[in-house]
Parts: sequence; C-alpha cells; structure tokens
Amino acid sequence: MKHYWNVYKKFVSTSVSVETSFRTSFILLIFMDLFFFLSTIGSVSFIYDHVTTIGPWQKNQLLFFLSFMLMIDNLHMMIFSQSFWEFSNHLKTGQLDYIILKPLSTIFSVFFRHFRLSSLFNTPVFLGSLIYYGNQVGLSLTQWALVPFLLALGLALLVVVEFTLTTSMFWLTDGMGINFLRMQMQQLARWPSFIYRGVIRKVLMSALPVLLIGSGPVQFLFDTAQWPLLVGMLLCLVLFSFLLVVVWRQGLRRYDSASS
Amino acid sequence: MPSELNANIQKWWITIKVSWVKHTAYRLNFFLQIIGPSLVFFFVKYNLWSSIYAGDSALTIKGFSFQQMITYHMWAFIVALVAQGHGSWNLSDDIRMGRISSYLIYPFNFWEFHTASWLSFQAIQIGIASFTLFSVSFLGFLNLPSLEVMGVGIAYTLFISLFWFTMQYFTGVLAFWLEETWILRVMLNIITYFLSGAIIPLDLYPQWLVNVLNYTPFPYLTYYPIKIFMGQGSHLTQGLFIILGWTLVFAYINHRIWKKGIRLYTAAGM
Repeated sequence: MKHYWNVYKKFVSTSVSVETSFRTSFILLIFMDLFFFLSTIGSVSFIYDHVTTIGPWQKNQLLFFLSFMLMIDNLHMMIFSQSFWEFSNHLKTGQLDYIILKPLSTIFSVFFRHFRLSSLFNTPVFLGSLIYYGNQVGLSLTQWALVPFLLALGLALLVVVEFTLTTSMFWLTDGMGINFLRMQMQQLARWPSFIYRGVIRKVLMSALPVLLIGSGPVQFLFDTAQWPLLVGMLLCLVLFSFLLVVVWRQGLRRYDSASS
Repeated sequence: MPSELNANIQKWWITIKVSWVKHTAYRLNFFLQIIGPSLVFFFVKYNLWSSIYAGDSALTIKGFSFQQMITYHMWAFIVALVAQGHGSWNLSDDIRMGRISSYLIYPFNFWEFHTASWLSFQAIQIGIASFTLFSVSFLGFLNLPSLEVMGVGIAYTLFISLFWFTMQYFTGVLAFWLEETWILRVMLNIITYFLSGAIIPLDLYPQWLVNVLNYTPFPYLTYYPIKIFMGQGSHLTQGLFIILGWTLVFAYINHRIWKKGIRLYTAAGM
C-alpha cells in the first residue's frame, strides 16, 4: 500500500509539472470549470424564478443536490478525468505496452496516472456552494459529518462504473466514443432520480446505477428512511468492482499492441 | 480558365467524398460523439420539463405550455445538429502533430481542405436532422411549419452553421500557440449552450440579461432560429447582420492568425 502511495505521489508531481508548463491551458482549464459551474447553477436558478418546485424539491434542495454533484465532478476532474482520455489514445497508439510492463496493478497505472491541478484551484468555489446550500437546507452537524463519506461513496461508484465501461475500449478500434458515452452518463446523473420515469429510471438506478451517485446520498441526507439507496450504492460498488476486474483481465488478453 | 475551375471543383468534391468516408468509418464512434450527446441532452430536458409541468396541461410558464416547451426543445435538437456541428475538431491536431506540412506542398490549402471536410460533415448532419424531423412529424410529436417558414428557418440555420464553423476554425488555429485547444472548444460550447437558449428558453432569463445578449451572437445561434421554426420569428434582420458581422470579423482574425502562426510553425516530427 505504501509503495502505491509513493508511486501515486510521483504521478501527481509529474502531472503537476507537465500541466504548469503550459500556463495558458492551465488558466483556461480553471475558467472552463468556472463557466460550467456558473451555467449549471444559473440555469436551475432561472427555472426556479418561474416555478416553486421541481418534483418534490424546492430551489435550495435542488441547488444543494447540484452542488453535491458538482463537487463530485470537481474531484473526478482532478483525479481521474484525464486518464480516461489518455487511455483511449494509449490503446490506439500501443503506448499501453509500457504501462503493462510496470510492476503495478494495470488498473491503478491506467486510471490514477494523471492529476489535474487546475481543478484544485476551483475546489473552494464548488465546496463553498455545497456549504452555502447545505446551510440553506438546514443540514445538522451529524448530517455535515456524513457529507465527506457520501461524497467519497458517490465518487467511488461513478468511477467504478466508468472504469468498467471503459474496458469496452479493448474491443473497439477507436475508443474515443466511449469517453463521450461516459460524459452523457454524467449528464444523466446531474439531475435527481425523480425527474426520470418508468423503465429508464429503473435501469439507471440498478443495471447502470448512475442516478444513485447523487440521488442516493442527497435523498438520504434529506430523509434517513431512504437508507436502502445507500445499501444499493454499496452493492453496486462491490458488483461493478468485481465485474471490472473480470472484464479488465479479458480486455488485457484481447489487447494486441498497435506498436509491435 | 474553365479547366482550372473544373480542376478546383474536382479537388473540393474528392475531399468532400474522402471526408464523408472518414466521418462514417467508425459508426459507433460517430453516433456516440455526435448524435448521442444531443439525444441525451434532449432526453434530460424532456424528463426535466415533464417533472416541472407534472402533467398539468393548463400550466404555462412564460407563455410556454408543456407541449410548446417540448416543441421548443425538439427544434433545439434539430438546430444544434445542423448549426453547431463539431466537424473541425481535427484541425488543431493537424497543426500540433505537424500534419499541415502536407498542405504546404499540396495544391490545396489548409482552409480549403477543412472547409470541404466541414461541408461533408454538414451533409451528414443535415441528413440526420431531416430524418429526425420527418420521423417525429410522422409520429405526430411535432407539427411542421409551412414551407415558407421552413425555408427561412433552414436558410437561417445554415447561415449560422457557417458562423459556427469560423468559430471552430478560430479555436483550431490557436493550436499554433496553445498546447490544448479542446479547452477553448469546450468553453465555447458551455457558454453557447447557456447563453443561446439551448438549455432553457431565453424567455425565462432576466430581461436585463436578454437585452445584453441581443447584442452578442449567442441568442441568434439557437433561440431565434427555434422561434422562426415555431412561427414566431423576430429579430431576423438584426440577427442576420449580427451573425454576418461576427462571421466576417472571425474570418479576418482566422486569416491573420494563420499568417502569423505559419511563421512559428516548426513541423513536429519532420
């Protein structure tokens, strides 16, 4: 474990060195995240200027949910996002060879390789929004104490589902489309589960549990009787982790280096 | 002279055909990258507004009944397909990877190649948009406007697509200076989605913001084209002049950037 932590520190330090070498891109990334934050919060605020509730939720409840999801997005951007894009390139160009050769878990070396410092600069904004709307909905001290764990749980479920989905790139000539599919999953998850209906909602709460990522924790915070949603998240986390290991192994067997 | 013109047309035509094949070679990728995001965007908006209206057919929000809101977003889907395509994303890669060296030797300019490629992409997008439009109309989800209104709407949307292409070209040629131009492209998309009325109709925005936005190109990229298709066209002449003005400005800037950038170009990998 200590070995992996030391390697991860090296991953972070090299990523920071590379990112800060291109200062304009670095600053633009900060602004990109800020625009995304403002447009998301702004759109919902404008809707609430004309309606009192969306589903069962009032403005501050939905904005707390959005802040929760944006915080997960921020952490995802910081720790994982770039690695997904690099992975599709590595598969296409054969650079995955060098990753496989390393004496480390390939899942770790592929998905934890890139760290995005620019997202860390925006964390106070995302965190500030979460704290502000959390206070507006009147979270108690106990509820606040649970928030970091629920954020970690939501992020873990998101990335495990995404890792599993990403393994399909081994079977595709060009895996770039899968990255766009991941982004669409994130878009679906950015809205509370109650806006969806019927079979689609059932599928997105179980087989492809993207709606659990934000709706599970936030609905539990608002009403502890919703604890089965958290159990569902934990179950999905275990199941998808198992699936990931199995499919990843199959994928590595399927991989025929493009460079050799 | 006519033979020179013929040869030039031939070059454009062949480039369009080659680009068509390249765009459609990986169909799953094409679907996931181009059609998928618009479809999911529409799906989310449909569910969101269904939840807001909650089956209340008498409810109107800023003049929009549920049916009108869904019609608005169906047109937003069509307008986005035709007017805001992403066919020029490989432009910056050509610069970064040193591939533009070929264009410096070929008797076909860089901008000509990418414009021809964009035309082929547009042809695909128009095909998909037409198929979608007639399918939803056939199934009774959307009432098509009169031929005259459709004609004006289509012409206006195609005009906007030209402006969008100059903007995409602008973000692409900045690759002479920037390592990553995708950030600018994504930023442009985020701002455009938000300020053009693609997420929610501009009628729901504060009036002061709409007044300011009317002087920018954004509302003319989605909101006003949709209004034309919905038979409520307004600001048509103003929109045409504003978009034309911005298109010319960016075409000139692109030209200047290319001239400056090519002097910096070091042909990576050569």
